[in-house]
Order: sequence, then C-alpha cells, then structure tokens
Amino acid sequence: MTVNGWIQIGLFALVIFAITKPFGIYMYRVFEGEQQPLPRLFGPLERVLYRLCGVDPRKEQEWKGYTAAMLIFSFFGVLVTYGIERLQHVLPLNPQKLAAVPADLAFNTAVSFTTNTNWQNYGGESTMSYLTQMAGLAWHNFTSAAVGIGIALALARGLTRQSGPSGPKTLGSFWVDLIRSIVYVLLPISIVGTLVLVALGVPQTLSAYRELTTLEGLKQVVALGPVASQEVIKELGTNGGGFFNANSAHPFENPTPLTNFIEMVLIFSIPAALTYTYGRMARDTRQGWAIFAAMAVLFLAGIAVAYKYEAGRNPALATLALNHAPGNMEGKEVRFGIANSALWATVTTDTSCGAVNSMHDSFTPLGGLVPLLNIQLGEVIFGGVGAGLYAMLVMVVLTVFIAGLMVGRTPEYLGKKIEGKEMKLAMLYVLIFPLIILVLSAWASVAPYGTSSLNNAGPHGLSEIMYAYSSQAGNNGSAFAGLSGNTRFWNITGGFDMLIGRFLMIVPAVAIGGSMIGKKVVPAGPGTFPTTGATFTVLLIGVILIVGALTFFPALSLGPLLEHFAALSGKVF
Amino acid sequence: MAASKAKQVSLFDPAIVRQAVIESLKKLDPRLVAKNPVMFVVEVGSVLTTLLWLRDRILHPAGAAPGWFTLTVSVWLWFTVVFANFAEAVAEGRGKAQADTLRRMRREIKARKLVSGREEMVDASALRKGDAVVVEAGQMIPGDGEIVEGIASVDESAITGESAPVIRESGGDRSAVTGGTKVLSDRIVVRIGVDPGESFLDRMIALVEGAARQKTPNEIALHILLVGLTLVFLFACVTLVPIARYSGIGLSATAIVALLVCLIPTTIGGLLSAIGIAGMDRLLRKNVLAMSGRAVEAAGDVDTLLLDKTGTITLGNRMATELIPAPNVKVEDLADAAQLASLADETPEGRSVVVLAKERYGLRGREVDHGKHTFIPFTAQTRMSGCDIAGRVIRKGAVDAVGKHVAGLGGAMPPELDARRGGSATRAAPRSRSRMARACSASSTSRTW
Repeated sequence: MTVNGWIQIGLFALVIFAITKPFGIYMYRVFEGEQQPLPRLFGPLERVLYRLCGVDPRKEQEWKGYTAAMLIFSFFGVLVTYGIERLQHVLPLNPQKLAAVPADLAFNTAVSFTTNTNWQNYGGESTMSYLTQMAGLAWHNFTSAAVGIGIALALARGLTRQSGPSGPKTLGSFWVDLIRSIVYVLLPISIVGTLVLVALGVPQTLSAYRELTTLEGLKQVVALGPVASQEVIKELGTNGGGFFNANSAHPFENPTPLTNFIEMVLIFSIPAALTYTYGRMARDTRQGWAIFAAMAVLFLAGIAVAYKYEAGRNPALATLALNHAPGNMEGKEVRFGIANSALWATVTTDTSCGAVNSMHDSFTPLGGLVPLLNIQLGEVIFGGVGAGLYAMLVMVVLTVFIAGLMVGRTPEYLGKKIEGKEMKLAMLYVLIFPLIILVLSAWASVAPYGTSSLNNAGPHGLSEIMYAYSSQAGNNGSAFAGLSGNTRFWNITGGFDMLIGRFLMIVPAVAIGGSMIGKKVVPAGPGTFPTTGATFTVLLIGVILIVGALTFFPALSLGPLLEHFAALSGKVF
Repeated sequence: MAASKAKQVSLFDPAIVRQAVIESLKKLDPRLVAKNPVMFVVEVGSVLTTLLWLRDRILHPAGAAPGWFTLTVSVWLWFTVVFANFAEAVAEGRGKAQADTLRRMRREIKARKLVSGREEMVDASALRKGDAVVVEAGQMIPGDGEIVEGIASVDESAITGESAPVIRESGGDRSAVTGGTKVLSDRIVVRIGVDPGESFLDRMIALVEGAARQKTPNEIALHILLVGLTLVFLFACVTLVPIARYSGIGLSATAIVALLVCLIPTTIGGLLSAIGIAGMDRLLRKNVLAMSGRAVEAAGDVDTLLLDKTGTITLGNRMATELIPAPNVKVEDLADAAQLASLADETPEGRSVVVLAKERYGLRGREVDHGKHTFIPFTAQTRMSGCDIAGRVIRKGAVDAVGKHVAGLGGAMPPELDARRGGSATRAAPRSRSRMARACSASSTSRTW
C-alpha cells in the first residue's frame, strides 16, 4: 500500500461526501418538490412525455398499482430487447453484419439489461449491432436505473409520509418517477458526461470498425462505436454493461486515470445522494446521514481489505524469490495500478454497477473475497441506483425491530410501528437472496453441465460459480471472468437468477412501503429508539453483516478462504 | 392488594425445579415442540443424530462420522431441547407458585359463620351459598354476598378504587358486599351469595394462573424473524453438502446438523416463551397483574401513568393532610377540636386526623377523663364522631351530617364555609363556642395500577 494510493482513495471518498448534499437536495426537488428545478429547460420535455404516454402527473398509485406498473413496464422491456437482439441481422445500424443473437443468450441479455444487472455472456463488439447496443441495451441503462430510483422513492414515501390510517395510501406515480428520473437526472448528466469523456479521448461514432496497420506491419481491426454515451449512463445508472468485452479496462471506454476517477464518482453519485434525499423526505436529514454513515463504514472497510491484499504479495507466490513490491498486478491495467483497481472493484460491487477496470478473477483470494462479499451483503453499500436505498431501508426496518426488542420497546421507525406484517415482508426480502444464490451455486457445482464452464479447478472454480450467481442475483453484473457463461445452462439459470433477484425482492420492498404508509404516527418520546445516532449506525452494520455474512460464510469458507489458506501452505489447484 | 402479600418465590425453589424437570420431559412431545419452529428443528436434529448413531453402531457403514462425535452432538442437542423446555417450565412454575400463595391467603381469611344463632369460626373457603356470617369493624368480608342485618361503612377501595368508604346496609339496593373488602365500622350480618371458586379472590387467582399466554404483536414479529433466519440457515447448510462435494469433501449428516443448530437462533428461540412468562412474573412481583403477554409489552412502553380513582385497584384510605380553618378561627384551636372529635373515630380517616394534629401542631395524646369526656364513636348511621366535654359539643363528620346536626341544635352553617367546601370534606364543629371550622381536607393515597 502506498501513501499515493490512499490519497487517491481519500480524495474519492471526499468528493462523494461533498456531492451527496447538493445532489441530494436537487433530487429531492425533482421528486418531492412543489416545483421541479430548471423548469424552462426540462419542463417542456417532461410535459411532452406525459402527453405522449397519457400520464396524468397528479394521479398517484397505491403500492399494488405502483408495483404492477413497474412489472408490466419491465416485462415489455424484456420482450422488446429480446426482439431486437433476435432480429438485429435484418434491422439497420449493423455495419459489421453481425448475426442474430442465439435464443438463450438473447434471453439472458434482455433480462440482464432490464434488471439493471448487465451481466454479459457475450463480447459486445463481436455480438451486438449498434442498434442493439443503443436501442436494446443503452435504453435499459436509463429505464432500469429509473425504475430503481422509483422503487426506492415508493418505499421511502411509505415510511416518511404521514398520511395516517384514514389518509391516502398512495406511494407516488411510477410513470412520473420514471419520466422525472430520466428527464431531470439521468439524461442531463449523461449528456454533459458524454461530452467530457469525448474530450478526454473516448470515441463516439457510428462508423464501421477501423482497419489499421500496426508497427509490426500487421493488419488489425480496431472496434469503435458510440462508446462515450453508453459509458456515462453505464456508470451513472450502476448498470455496468460495457460496450466492449473488456469493459472499463478497455482504453476506449476508460482511457486515463482521470476518466477512471470521473467514472467512479458517477457510479457512487446517485446512490450516495439518494440517502440525503431520503433524509429530506423524512424531514430529518440525520436519518439520511445515519444510513450514509453505515454505507461509508462498510465501503471503507471493503476498500481497506481489498487494497491491503492486492498490494501485498500473492499467497501462492509468497515463498518465491520475487520482487513482491508492486503487489498483485495480474489482470490489472498499468495505467490504473493497484489502488485504483482495488478501489474500482470495491465501488463497482458495493453498488450494483458491475463495470470492471481490472479482472476480479485475478485478484488474490482475499482481495477477491471483498467484491464477492460486497455483493452478497445484498448490494446495500450505497448499492444500485435506488436499489441500494430500498435494500438498505429493509435492513433499517429489521434493525429497528431488533433494537426495539433489545430495549424492550415497541419498535418504531419514524414514529410508525413495525409489526408482524412488515417483518414478514422484510424476512421474505432477506430470504430470497441467499436462497437463490446458494441453491443455484450448489446445483452448478455438482452438475457436469455446470462445472464444464469452469476454467479453474479447486476452490477458485467454486468462487467463480458463487460469484456468477451472486453477481446476477444482486443485479451487479461483474464477473469472475474465468467462467464461460455462454452456455444454455448458465444463460437460462442466470436469467432466472436475475429476474428473481430483482423483481421478487422489489415486491416485498414496495409492499413494506404500502403497509407503512397508513400507520398512525406516534411522536417520538424519551423512550423512542433514536435512528440517527452512532449507536443505530453500528447496529445497522451489525445486522447487515449478520444477515449477509453468516448466511454465506459456510460456502465462502470452501471458496476464497480455502483458496487463501491452501495457497499459504503452498498448495495450488 | 392481595398479591402484595405474596411471598417472593426463589428461582430455584426445589419444588418448582422438581416439577419443571418432569414438565421439560413431557414437553418433548413433537406436537408441543412444533409450536416453536426453531426448537423443532433442533429436536428433529436430535432424533436424526441419535438414529445415525444407532445406525453406525449396528451397521458400521463406510465413511460414517466417528461414533463419539455423533453421540456427543446428539447428547448436546437433546440437552438443548430439554433445557429450553426446562426454562419454560420453571417460568410457568413460578406463576403457579404465586397463585398458590393467593390461594393460601384465601384460606387464611376466617369467617364467623352463624349456625342456628351461634357463631362458629370457619375458613372463608368453606362458606357455601346461603351461609350467614357476622362481620365487625376491622374484619374482612369473607365472601361476596348481601347484608341481611345492620349497616356499616365498608372500604371497597380494593375493588372499586373509590377511596371514600361506602355505606352498605340491609335492604334496598345498597346491600351487596364483596369478599376481600373491609368493614370499617359497625357490625353486619352477610348472607353469602356465591359458592367457592366464583368469588372475587378466585377470579384474581385465575388471572395469575391463566397467565394463559397469547402471543404479543412483537412476539409474532420476532417469531417471523426467527423462522426466517432458521430457513435461511437451513438452506445455507443443505446447499453446503453439494458445494462441499465439489471440493471433494464428504460432509456427514451429523456435521451438517451440528452446524445448522449453531447457526440458527437457538438461544432466542428456546428461551422465548420463558422470557414471556418471566416478564409477567416480574410484573407480578411489582404487584401488577398482567393478564396477557400483550400487557407486559405495553408495560414496557409506559412513560406516564394516569390514575383514575374509580375502576382501578386502589389501596384507598382517606388521609387528612391539611387543616384549613374557617375565617376568624385559629388553626391551633381547630387542630385541638379536630383531634378531640376524632379520638373516637377508628376509621383510617379519623386516625389520620389525630396523627395530623399530633405531628403538625404538636398535640400529644391528652389525658382523657372519662368522667368529663363523653366520646361519641363514628358510626355509619350518624356519619359523625365527636366528644362532649362539660357542655361543649364537638362534632366532626360528613358535611351534610354536621349541617343537620347544627340545624337540629338550632344553629346555622356560616355561609363562608360553603364557599370553601370541597367535594367530600369533613368538618369539625366545636359547638359550644358556636364557631365552626372546616377541619380537614381529605386526600387519599392510592396505589393504582
């Protein structure tokens, strides 16, 4: 570890901290304000979209209506993308004459982009036409992110609105949240960000791939495309689906340390700022900061471990007479180095982004454990755009309940009682995630059609399997690249993994909002457990670790942990 | 209140422990354990490991876990289940012990039963419907019934919460009395109206025993949490088998069961019902009857206690706390008169006036010359007490009673008294000086829950 490395990590943390409040206020005004900001710039577009879609912006939905609208919208999203992929050979904007995408891969990809996962079982430049990239995939980069924000807002409204038992039970309008997320937040930042990235050397073109003669006199085809525009929304919407196979490690996606820094900030910006927005909605910004603090602590712990083990010596090579000073540079870009690679890996798995600038597969066992564990904690460390906030709020509900029992009080959050129904929904939410990951991992690790995709034997192969299903269920999308996922088994199980990990978890989350909205608000008394202080933050972290880590610990002990200790004793597989 | 006299029951009272050991084995019945999914999983694990051990002993299959390992895990799991049952049984046993104490109390009330005109001492619990009993001032009424003879003032605060004694007399609609209430003056004959097992005290015992536990809202939510966690860990352990097989490790069923029991929230699950009962028990020790677990939970949420005298369980002795003289009356004179008037009043209220005069105004118990002093005791009929000393008539009593008394002697109530009169004030009337003073304002020390 170097001082330089820590300064870069510290600078990143500072920038995120600095933008949280102003950006959070901006989003509060967009989604909850009486009047949206910059009405002359965005107002007309917003109104045109309402009119086009036949949306009445004043009409709100109850939780069932909200969820149904989201499910229908997503279902058609999957259908349209699947259609484009299957028909790309007859559709325009296909200068490379790429063939139709096979059915199982098209299913996996359509689900992947709709669920904000962006798991890619394909190489973009060799499989997807420009039209597929832009209309089929980049489109989802916007809408899936907007859906996440909407769900988070719906749950947050359920918790914070004080409409009382007889008041309206509406959680906002899905269509309004969707359109406002895109018009006010995602689109403007993407446009500005694209221009910045283009200025910093990222290509943005619709021309065909360029054939160049290299210094050795060989012919080489250089893949191009509308990269910059997709790059920004890929990070901003925590999507992570790269234009190129190498994702953000590719010099055209992420040419310099500066673009690297900007892209990392883009990944964290919305999830971090949403905590402040939430605090404003709760009429007490300390509520938001307490959540932010829990996220920040877990983030810093993750980067510290990842950086330490990546900068240290590779345990398998530790006994050899080598220069260990540069750390584990396998699978990393020299222009980023250890610190920025470890930081990116932590950032991209804390949020459900999944873009990579180094190969997680090549991390040391414990360095690679951090990204895996980050995902398995349920994508709550800032988390996906919106998804992080709603996942965290479910954890908050659990924590408040457990804390309430510990002090012998009826558990209340923001003055509303947490009862059996909310616990049922929260447990459902907590249950689904490890269930789907463990069951599919167990299946794949014993089935020949599962293990045949592995490129590594031993515990590292197990880590690859677990990472694949964790990443898809967590809607992350990054991969331990040693696994060839483009087989029928992996495409189909992965597709369902993503569907369940997204939608079966969203439904209980919104349902909690629907059940909390109508509750009587009891003013805080001296016996109310405060959900703002350090005690609460520590408890929240404890609950996240217990629920997340304890579930996966037995399986992890056979993967990364076993690999680490085996390597220390000189055994490699 | 009755429960306040209940003895503290030690946690490891031998009788309770003995009972609990037997109960904890009875509670191994799967139908009972199934109510608690966490412990049910542990019990299934216990049975499974026991069967595995037996199988290994008999068949010696290849690749089985070592016999001592399976056996110790099995024993440990059985111990876990039995201990959880034991904790629950101990908690239940304590509740039962409390009820027994109350029952003993009921036996301790003696009744003076009238049998063909003669009095006979019997236990209150031996009274039957239709029996007639005599109760005099200072005695407890042994059972619910109706006054057939006499009139008395009765302290019913333990039931109604009303701190002022009420007048009960034979005939009319004020003749009903309740067991457990106390006669403060006079003598009455009560015809018992209920058989044993139906009285007020019996209902209290039923309350303590019928700690019939409904689940509280928090308990239900916690239950869901525990079931959810158990499920998560069940899957974590079951899926570990194929995952371990990938790594070439054959996990024995014993090891998986042991891991599962370590992971699931066994401690909370096992002690949950014991905790609930213990909560009621702790309230009971503070003399609060919790009728349900829900009440225990509510007790934790209480910040402010508002007392409403009526309808609560009260120890309601009216006590004099202040002497307020009428205009132009010296407070020392008033204190002197009030004390004299109260010396013959054996009700708590009368005694408190004597004590107040002594403590606040230094009036010691005086020489009482029975030749000069004629004491008029308090009765429910006159609702006054007093003292006649050499032509000086001092009376203390209910406002309207004193008013009538004064009017009967040809005097009149000074109007300024009316203006200062409180709801249930008592006044002293030192008649001979033709002055009246308001004696004491009553207040009650209530213990209300």
